[in-house]
Amino acid sequence: MLKKRIIFTLLYDNGSFMLSRNFRLQKVGTIDWLQKNYDFSHIAFYIDELIVLDVSRVERDIERFSDALKILAKGCFAPIAAGGGIRTLSDARQLLRSGADKVVVNSALFDDPPFVTTLAQEFGQQCVVGAIDIKQDVDRAYHVYTNNGSCQRNEPVTKLLEQLPEKSVGEFYLNSINQDGTGQGYDLGLLDLIPYQLNLPTILAGGAGHSQHLINGLLDERVDAVATAHLYNFVGDGLKKARESIRLQDVDLANWASFSELKSDLSMKGIPI
Amino acid sequence: MIKQKKIVVVDYGMGNLWSVISALDFLGADSIISSNPAEITKADAILLPGVGSFRLAMQTLANTNLNEAIKEAVQIKQRKILGICLGFQMLAESSTEDGMTAGLGFIPTPVESFSVQELERRKLPHIGFNRVRLPDSSHLFDGFKTEEDFYFVHSYRLLAQALPGKKAICNYGTDFLAAYEHENVFGAQFHPEKSQTNGLRLLANFLSA
Repeated sequence: MLKKRIIFTLLYDNGSFMLSRNFRLQKVGTIDWLQKNYDFSHIAFYIDELIVLDVSRVERDIERFSDALKILAKGCFAPIAAGGGIRTLSDARQLLRSGADKVVVNSALFDDPPFVTTLAQEFGQQCVVGAIDIKQDVDRAYHVYTNNGSCQRNEPVTKLLEQLPEKSVGEFYLNSINQDGTGQGYDLGLLDLIPYQLNLPTILAGGAGHSQHLINGLLDERVDAVATAHLYNFVGDGLKKARESIRLQDVDLANWASFSELKSDLSMKGIPI
Repeated sequence: MIKQKKIVVVDYGMGNLWSVISALDFLGADSIISSNPAEITKADAILLPGVGSFRLAMQTLANTNLNEAIKEAVQIKQRKILGICLGFQMLAESSTEDGMTAGLGFIPTPVESFSVQELERRKLPHIGFNRVRLPDSSHLFDGFKTEEDFYFVHSYRLLAQALPGKKAICNYGTDFLAAYEHENVFGAQFHPEKSQTNGLRLLANFLSA
């Protein structure tokens, strides 16, 4: 039985990690600050996957981003997807060589579909996460927004998704701009926008404030994973406790032994860690 | 002792090498990343990671003479090898990804895509942790329960039928080969370097096998 996943999303902006609310960014701290104040490898132990997005609004620095990624990946034995402004194969390759297992693409899905096809041909479809930022506008209609949520696409969301090149995307990351950072829960309405024939794993993002929100997302059969970027609500023992309470709700999550258990087993075999 | 072993992670431009190295470092193993055939023939243990297209990966191995170096190390010198994900598939006989391509041939079975009929609306790629049924008395799964969760991300898989050796099986619409061990040939379709402590334990088992 395939397990459902809990994903933590870190938002990176020029050397700092950010909180986002409706796509407006607020600085939280640098990577040193993050390591010092939150034992990141401890957090990583309670998640099924990590996503790191470079959301820099001005010019992006892929070298610096990759360095931050390497530091994060060092103590994280869970899969990592990374992206933000990726437009060339060499950028993608650099992320994959810095600890990422998957590359996240957003604006390029609609601005440059041939590039996304090339990515999939080079690294495999499973390596490409299509992140789609969706906003419900005042007329109640949903629209895709690109370029950090600044640029509205006119076509209906479902039609845009249908037009994505075949076998170019391995997974969807659907993010609600309205719910982003509000802590008021996911917009399950985003799931209705996925075309029936596009049967891809789907990550739901935007709005989780506490574990009941994660549960509400995970209980929807169309959802394979839920993501949260809400640094404050889930740090410390937040994710551990969320994981425990989710398990009680009949959501099938993966299990693994604790570090201390592994440590004592391996030391008996003469492998100190 | 895993410290004294010369562990080489094969770099042919298509792996998530950083993660594999991080996991090996964590276990205290001395490993090097190399694309040099001479280094590979001298290794005590070889790790073959990989993300991407089978055909492209096999072509790259051939163009860089890494395929001959790996064959010499594994088949003549009987060195241990662990293939991970695409690296596992490359140990097999052949793959149908992008047309038929021959693999290294250490595991006598083909690699095929999941079929739509088998999947019955299950999503493809197969992404996430899934339950794996583990074989008895294997090196790779020493210290595990009979079933454990590992992280997968793939669309092609090795067929498990009629294979000698120890087989770990996962079901995703159909049973497929999740991991394998026979003499000095080891492999995992899942990512041990991404499967939390379950994966670290497996890597430690490989290194000390």
